[in-house]
Amino acid sequence: MTVVLEVRDLKIGYGGVPLLDEIAFDVLRGQVFAILGGSGCGKSTLLRTLIGLQAPLAGRVHFRGIGTPEQAMSPPQFGVLFQSAALFGSWTLLQNVMLPLQKWTQLPQDAVREVALARLRLVGLELAAQKLPSEVSGGMRKRAGIARALALDPPILFLDEPSAGLDPVTAAELDELILTLARGLSVTIVLVTHELPSILKIADQCLMLDREAGGVIARGAPRDLAEHAADPRVLAFFRRQSSPRNQ
Amino acid sequence: MAPTGYSLTRDDGAERRVSLTGSVTLADGAALWQELRQALAGATAATIDLAGVARLDGGAAALLQAVRANWARGGRPFRFVGATGEVAHLLALYDSARHGAGDEPDPAPSSLLGDVGDFAHDTWRTTQAILAFLGDLVWSVGRAIRQPRTVHMGEFGLLVERAGADGLPIVMLINFLVGAILGLQGAIQLHRFGGDQFLASLVGLSVVRELGPLMTAILITGRSGAAYAAELGTMTVNEEIDALRTLGQDPQRFLVFPRVLAMVVVVPAMTIVGDFLGTLGGMAIAVGYLQQPAVVYVQVFQQWIDMLDIGTGLMKSIVFGIAIGLIACQRGLATRGGADGVGRSTTSAVVVVLFALVALDAAFTWVFSLLDW
Repeated sequence: MTVVLEVRDLKIGYGGVPLLDEIAFDVLRGQVFAILGGSGCGKSTLLRTLIGLQAPLAGRVHFRGIGTPEQAMSPPQFGVLFQSAALFGSWTLLQNVMLPLQKWTQLPQDAVREVALARLRLVGLELAAQKLPSEVSGGMRKRAGIARALALDPPILFLDEPSAGLDPVTAAELDELILTLARGLSVTIVLVTHELPSILKIADQCLMLDREAGGVIARGAPRDLAEHAADPRVLAFFRRQSSPRNQ
Repeated sequence: MAPTGYSLTRDDGAERRVSLTGSVTLADGAALWQELRQALAGATAATIDLAGVARLDGGAAALLQAVRANWARGGRPFRFVGATGEVAHLLALYDSARHGAGDEPDPAPSSLLGDVGDFAHDTWRTTQAILAFLGDLVWSVGRAIRQPRTVHMGEFGLLVERAGADGLPIVMLINFLVGAILGLQGAIQLHRFGGDQFLASLVGLSVVRELGPLMTAILITGRSGAAYAAELGTMTVNEEIDALRTLGQDPQRFLVFPRVLAMVVVVPAMTIVGDFLGTLGGMAIAVGYLQQPAVVYVQVFQQWIDMLDIGTGLMKSIVFGIAIGLIACQRGLATRGGADGVGRSTTSAVVVVLFALVALDAAFTWVFSLLDW
């Protein structure tokens, strides 16, 4: 399988103060790659660094065949679903999805609308196309965010805690959608989450971060980590136990 | 037209057959959309052969399905043939018929009559809401007097500082300029009739009774009223107001009461400063333009303006302060939606407060004239 994203010797933090260090991993084409860890361990900071919204303190992020995250932004070679979905509140869901198509394609307006509607249909939101984000549920906002992230057919999707704040049924539906995207559209998916059912259901590979360790403490297939990890912090995470350092 | 990754050939005839080969992607979507429409124009039935397509992406699949859906609406036969593997899979994924859902109709276009009706309805609802809010506030004041500890006065000093001290320079400057402009206009007219000595009474009465309170209130509306609406609106959409309620705090007493009280303190205080600076602006014109000794201006001012004039202005400013605080907070707490809702409620707060200030000023002037004040 081809590597699409390379991360080497990455050091990230805020204001020059390192949070995580020596992060290195590869993401393969078509893989669902999960970045795990407890609250405040730096998962979202790592994601922001991967998508170029935050500069690393050291190291590099490289999109194979494209370059740095900044180079991959224009035109966008990846889509992002933010934790809050980050839809524009004064625009309908359809207008939100149409935005990247209007900016980055030469399609006439009617074709833009058709493609945007098709994306919304794909995530089951065609009938809510004319609604504002404030008029739909949290799960629908997340799905609309995915439709917008998918608008330009990016080869990679970054999802920041897609199931956070959703009920189990909606979260499971979102997991199904992510699997459909990965298997049906061959999109590589990098997601940040700490939702165990989602991790076990959809992730091919995962990388576990720990704030105290200041970096990666485990990597591998989620089932392997859940059953055979040597590190008690990893086992505690997968078995939903309190952290060993708190015992 | 720029070279595309695909090529399109067609067999002409009423039953049109279009063959696509190569890489069909969204990057070439504009050309594909146009060429397909041209190729299918005038046909009674269409077949699109995708056997030669090496690569199809989601966007192009969506476009092909959109073309098919448009044809289906016209009742004309349309089919895809030759699609295999990934191409067939993507076409199926973007098949609108598979989802069984039609396009939601666009909202009905607005009409002038409808817009007027909506405006009247919104105005009535807003007025009702503000009056209900006023009732709640009066009720809260009663509760606050009985239980003073339930009122959150911790940030009262900060509110007064932000609305008062921080806004003082602009209030001073604007009132001085208004007094000077009024003075200059008045001086030109009075000079024609030899009435230079009356400039102080003209400027003094206008500023102290009308312009001082009104201009100061307008400025405070722009600064603090808008800020209150935006602040409370953001708190509302972030569910902070709901959180307050769940913590057993009444938003009226926790947030609204201190802000309205701050306005009741700040607006009259700033009005006194504004009156002084406005009068000073008029004096600058009297001295600079009419060559009138400053002492004459002051004497005439003392002769014509009494405490009742200043008192009526201050009475107005207290009511203006209540109106600014009340309406701005009500509009903020009535915010719905997200960031755009905050913008709308802030705009609404400023517009409604300005309207209320002018209406109240007119009512005061009428009542004072009846009372011969």
